[in-house]
Amino acid sequence: MPHPGWTDFGFDGIGTRWEISTPAPLSGAHRRRLLDTVADYDAAWSRFRPDSLIAGAARQPGRYELPAEAAALGPLYETLYRLSGGAMTPLIGGSLEQLGYDANYSLRPGGPPLPAPPWDEVLHWQGTVLTTRAPVVIDVGAAGKGQLADMLSGVLRDGGVDEHFIDASGDLLNAGSAPVDVGLEHPYDRTRAIGVVSLGAGALCASAANRRAWGDGLHHVLDGTTGAPVRTVVASWAMAASAMTADALATALFFVDGSRLQQEFDCSWLAVHSDGHAEYSADFEGVLFA
Amino acid sequence: MNTSLRKSVFVGIAGLSLAGSAAGCAPGQASSPQATSAAPSAAAGAASYKDGTYSADGNYVSPNGNETVGVELTLAGGAVTGVKITPHPTNPNTRKFQGEFAGGIQSQIVGKKLDEIKVSKVAGSSLTSGGFNQAVEKIKSEARA
Repeated sequence: MPHPGWTDFGFDGIGTRWEISTPAPLSGAHRRRLLDTVADYDAAWSRFRPDSLIAGAARQPGRYELPAEAAALGPLYETLYRLSGGAMTPLIGGSLEQLGYDANYSLRPGGPPLPAPPWDEVLHWQGTVLTTRAPVVIDVGAAGKGQLADMLSGVLRDGGVDEHFIDASGDLLNAGSAPVDVGLEHPYDRTRAIGVVSLGAGALCASAANRRAWGDGLHHVLDGTTGAPVRTVVASWAMAASAMTADALATALFFVDGSRLQQEFDCSWLAVHSDGHAEYSADFEGVLFA
Repeated sequence: MNTSLRKSVFVGIAGLSLAGSAAGCAPGQASSPQATSAAPSAAAGAASYKDGTYSADGNYVSPNGNETVGVELTLAGGAVTGVKITPHPTNPNTRKFQGEFAGGIQSQIVGKKLDEIKVSKVAGSSLTSGGFNQAVEKIKSEARA
């Protein structure tokens, strides 16, 4: 827990472990509302579930009406698609499956890397409606965990629990009045940190190339223009007001210079490269151990 | 007796893991055996390995070309007595001087043990040490008596 005396509510959701800390224990009603929100999100967006809304788009082209949160995801992905020259795309699901990161977790490549289809050719994302012209495997994994953290924070606020801290397995959202000191996990050694940053109100999300690595050079951060894994940046962190934005930017840092992202987003960033050097924005000055 | 085996293997992500292990325990210096957490497991099954110094390279292709790191294990009496990790980056500062931005650059990250620093939360994605373990397995099979 982030502060002495706070209590934790832990649960599993969308394939990850969640821990929500609050000054006082959450009521049964609060917990139920949180878990319902998680279940709804999973039912809409999981590409690992044949019965999800998004799974339909993988079977046949058509018009898919998604829940309200789609309206925020679409423009975010469109901006990052543009900034990354197509490398960061929600259409990456097919490439992930090709490399073995499929619904059955076969973790066996099905063939050479498969580029994601160009957005303009197959997908029209307008608000909450997705219209597809071909079967597409949509994966919103780069922003979905963060967005769900924002939604859970909203559920708590609506329920009168203004002070809380959400830890989605290393992606963090602080909605408390006090800042929290957060260690930045060493990309290759989970028992170490490479620095400590003070997280005020807002989100801090991380992405690392070594997470969920399952073969020779095969990990889950893929370049949509080639369908192959990205190799130069090995770990990244982004801070932003919303966890959805921070989560997406942490992934975007694998494809786009942080300075470029800062021109479009109110954010702070840190990127560690495969040769061990780090680059960071002003808010991360003095954060790294020297 | 010192045998030296130089092997080039395509270990992909292993290269990254190895480079990181180096960064984790003060790069530029030879790592002490206990500094590399995976080392003791390499010694498991003891006595069945020939003494010697073994090395394997990990290669991976970055968008700017090949990058390589080497790992060298010294075995004596069935135990790992030395671990040396040598990054040989062919593109050492590929992106270092690309563009200008407010903020900074640090030439090497430095790891500190989490129990030595006081934090209640950690931001990151936990290690999959598969790459390093793969290289160690490779060396174990080379070194089997």
